[in-house]
Amino acid sequence: MSYLSTLYLPGAVALWCALAFAVTAIWGYARALGGDPAALRFGRNAYRFFALAIALVTAILFLCLYLRDYRIEYVYQYSGNDLSTFFQLAAFWAGQKGSFLIWLFFGAMLGLPLVRAAGRDEAPVMTVFLFTQLGLLLILVRENPFIMLPQTPLDGAGLNPLLQDYWMTIHPPVMFIGYAATAIPFAFAMAALWRRDYGNWAARAFPWALFAFLALGAAILLGGYWAYKTLGWGGYWGWDPVENASLIPWLLTTVLIHGLYLERARGRFRRATVVLSSLAYLSVLYGTFLTRSGVLADFSVHSFVDLGISGWLIALMLFFLGGSAWLVATRIREIPSAPSEDPLLSRGTFVVLGTITLLASALVVTLGTSAPILTRFLENPGQVGPAFYNRVNLPLALLTAFLVALVPFLTWRGAASWGELLGKARWGLVAAAAVAVLAAILGVHDPFHLLLVLFASAAVATNLTAVIGLARRGGLKSAGGYLAHVGVGVILLGFLASSAYDESVKVTLERGRPTAVGDLTLTFQRFVPRSATQKERMEVEVVRPGGSRYLAYPSLFVNDRSRQLMAHPDIRSFAFHDLYLSPLEYDPGERGGRLLLAKDQSATRGGIEVRFLGFDLEAGGHGTTPAASGPMSVGAVLEITRDGRSERLTPIYRFSPGGEVEFPPVAIPGGGRVALAGIDAESGAVELLFEGLPDLPGSPAKLALDVTRKPLIQLVWGGLYLIFLGGALAAWQRYRQALRHDATAAGTR
Amino acid sequence: MNRRRVAYLAGAGLLLAFAAFSLTSFRSALTPYVSYAEAREQSRTVQVAGGLAKASSRYDEATSSLLFTLVDPATQQTLRVRYHGVKPANFEDAISIVAIGSYDRAADEFAAGKLLVKCPSKYQGAEVKTYS
Repeated sequence: MSYLSTLYLPGAVALWCALAFAVTAIWGYARALGGDPAALRFGRNAYRFFALAIALVTAILFLCLYLRDYRIEYVYQYSGNDLSTFFQLAAFWAGQKGSFLIWLFFGAMLGLPLVRAAGRDEAPVMTVFLFTQLGLLLILVRENPFIMLPQTPLDGAGLNPLLQDYWMTIHPPVMFIGYAATAIPFAFAMAALWRRDYGNWAARAFPWALFAFLALGAAILLGGYWAYKTLGWGGYWGWDPVENASLIPWLLTTVLIHGLYLERARGRFRRATVVLSSLAYLSVLYGTFLTRSGVLADFSVHSFVDLGISGWLIALMLFFLGGSAWLVATRIREIPSAPSEDPLLSRGTFVVLGTITLLASALVVTLGTSAPILTRFLENPGQVGPAFYNRVNLPLALLTAFLVALVPFLTWRGAASWGELLGKARWGLVAAAAVAVLAAILGVHDPFHLLLVLFASAAVATNLTAVIGLARRGGLKSAGGYLAHVGVGVILLGFLASSAYDESVKVTLERGRPTAVGDLTLTFQRFVPRSATQKERMEVEVVRPGGSRYLAYPSLFVNDRSRQLMAHPDIRSFAFHDLYLSPLEYDPGERGGRLLLAKDQSATRGGIEVRFLGFDLEAGGHGTTPAASGPMSVGAVLEITRDGRSERLTPIYRFSPGGEVEFPPVAIPGGGRVALAGIDAESGAVELLFEGLPDLPGSPAKLALDVTRKPLIQLVWGGLYLIFLGGALAAWQRYRQALRHDATAAGTR
Repeated sequence: MNRRRVAYLAGAGLLLAFAAFSLTSFRSALTPYVSYAEAREQSRTVQVAGGLAKASSRYDEATSSLLFTLVDPATQQTLRVRYHGVKPANFEDAISIVAIGSYDRAADEFAAGKLLVKCPSKYQGAEVKTYS
C-alpha cells in the first residue's frame, strides 16, 4: 500500500493496463501462430487496446507537465515556473523515463499501420514487434514516471538551459521515431525466419526500413544543427558517444536498405538482409545501453547517470541478440539465395562493395565508441577522440564516393571493361577534375583530400546526370537512389571543407576600437542588456573585405535558474562560407564614468556639471506602486550644464519583481550619454553612469571572441536535404511496390 | 572463375589491411585516464579528471586561453590546466571536469585540447533533491 500511495494512480494504472494488454496481445498472436484463426482477431484487438493505453499514459504525462503538477517527481525534476508552455511540454523527453515513454509511444503508434502492412505475416511480425515493445514497457513499469513526492514543491527544478532550444526539443522525438521504426524490419526478418517464409518479407519491410533511415537521418541533422547553432564550440559533430549511438543505427539502416534493394532487384543478399535487420535493431539497443547505463559517464559530455537499469538493458540486449542469433543460426542455410555471378564491373558488385564499406564504417565507429568498455579492465581505461574517427573513416569515404560516382553507369549485366565504364562517365569525370583543380588552386594540397574532392564531385556530376536523364524520360519517381547519391557527394565535400579547412582566430576586442582579424575588421560596439525577448548580447560590427558590413550579436548570459554561463554564437551565412562568432569572455571594464550623487549635490565629469535635483516617480509612465507584478521605475531629475547651457534630463531605473533591471542611457545634448545605474535606498543617493564623454578614467570593456570561417558548411545541410529527398522518393516508391506485392500475393493465394 | 577467385582474395586482403589500420589507429588514438603524477611524467595524450579548485579559473587574454586548477577529490592533489578553446557553458559549477591533452613541461602545466564538463543537473535531475 505504501508503494501505491507514492504513485500518481491515473498514470500508473494506464501503464499497468498497457502491460496487461501487451501480454494479452502476445498471447493472442501466439495462439494464432499455433493455428487458431480466431485468436488473430483477439490479438489484434488487444494490440489496439495496448496502443490506446500507451497513448493515454503519454497524454497523462503531458497533462501533468502542462498543469505543472510538481507533486509528480518527473515533472518537478524537469519543469519549472519559468518555462513557456512549449518547453514545459518538451520537458517530457528531458529525462530518461520520459525518453523511454516517448520511444514506446512512437513504437505503439507505428504498430497500428503495421498490423495491416504485415498482411499474412501479421501474427509472427506482431509477436516479435510486441516483444520489442514489452522490453521498454517493463523498464517503464520499474522506473515509473508517475512517482510522487511526499510534498508538493512550489516550483520545479527547471529544464537544462541547453535544452531550451527549438532544434533540441524536436531532435529527441524524431530520434525515437527512428529508434521505434528500426524494430519493424527486425520484426519482419525474425518473423520470416520463424515461419521459414523467405519470399515476402523484404518487399514489405523495405518501406519501413526507408522510413527508419529517414527518421534517424533527420534526427541526426537536427542534433547537428543544434550543436552548431547553440553550443558555440564551432562544430556540428564531435564524435561523442551519444552522437555515435545515433550514427551507428543510421549507417546500419543504410546498409540494410541497400541489401533490400539487391534482394528485391536480383534475389541476392537474402541471407545478409536478415542479419542486417537484426544488427540495425541490436545497434539501437546497444547505443541505448551505452548512453543510458552510465558506463560512459566519465567519457561523454552527456553525463547520463545510471538509473539502475543497466541490468535491464543488458538483459534486453542479450534476449534479442540470443533470440535472433538462434533463429539465424538454425535457419540461415535454408534461405535460398541466388549465387553471385555478377561480373566485377556490375551494379550488383558495386552495391555489395558499398554495403561492405558502410558496414566497415559502422564497425569502426562502434569500436571507437566502445573503447571505454573494451579498456575497462586495463590499468588505465581510455577513450578515442575525433582524430581516430576521422582517420579511419577517410579511406571509407573515398571508397564510398568512388563507388557512388560509377554506379549510375553500371548495369546488372555489367560493363565489358574499365575503358567502357570510364568512357560513359567521361563528362562527369571531366567536371570533377575541374573541381579538383580548382580546389588545389584554392589551397587543398593533401593528396587524399584532393582525391576525395575528385570522387565526391564525380559522384555529384554522374548521379545528377542520371536524375536529369530519368526526369526527361518521365521516370523521376524512381530517381530516389540517384538523388540521395547526389546528396552523398555534396555532403562529403561539405564535411571536408568545413572540418579540415576552417580557419579560427581568437581575439580580444576593446570596446570601440576597430581590430583587424584576417581580412575582417571587428569592432565591439556595446553590451546590449537583457530585454523581454533577448538575452544579454554583445553588439559587434563586422566589416568584410569590400566594405560591406553587418552587426553581429553573439550572446553571453547567465541562466537565471542554474547560474550557468551560457554562450550563443552569432552565425552569418555567405555564399561560400559561414562566419561564426563565438563569445569567450566579457570583461565589463572599470566604469570610470560612475558617479554617486546625493540630492542637490553637484559634480563635474568629462567637461559637464551635473546636479541631482530629485526623484521623479512618474517618469517611467507608471509609478513605484502599480500592480504588484508589473515593472516599476524611478526617474532621477538631473540638471546638466555644458558650456554655460543647462538642460534637464530624467534617466530612469526600471526593475521588475522577477529581478530584471534596466537602465537605458539618455543622450546628453552635445554628446555623450547618462544612465541611472542604481539607487542607494538609505542615503537617497543615485549612482549615475556616463558614457561617451572625453577624459573619463578607467579601462574599457573587452570582449574575447572566437572568430571562425567555416567554408562550404551549407553543403553539409544541403547534402543531407538531398539525401532525405531521395530517401523519401524511394520510400514512396517502395511503399507502392509493397502494396502491389501484397495485391499479387493475395491474387495467387 | 579464376579471376573471380583473385578478386575475392584481393577483397579479403583489403579488408584485412583495413582492419589492421583501424586497430593500429585505435591503439595510438587511445587516451588513457591517468593520475596527475602520471600525466606529468609523459608527453603522450592522456586524460585527467578532477574538480575545479575554487576561484582558480581565469581567462588569459594574452594567450586567449582559459587557465584553471583541477583538484583530485581523493588525494587533494592539484594540476594547473591551460585550455585553448571556447569555455564550456556550464564550466563554473561543474562537479567534475575531464581534461584531454598532454603535459607541457616547459610551462609546467597541462595543455588541454578538449574538456568534458559534468554538471549536476544536466540531463539527469535524479540526484537534485534539495527541495524545501
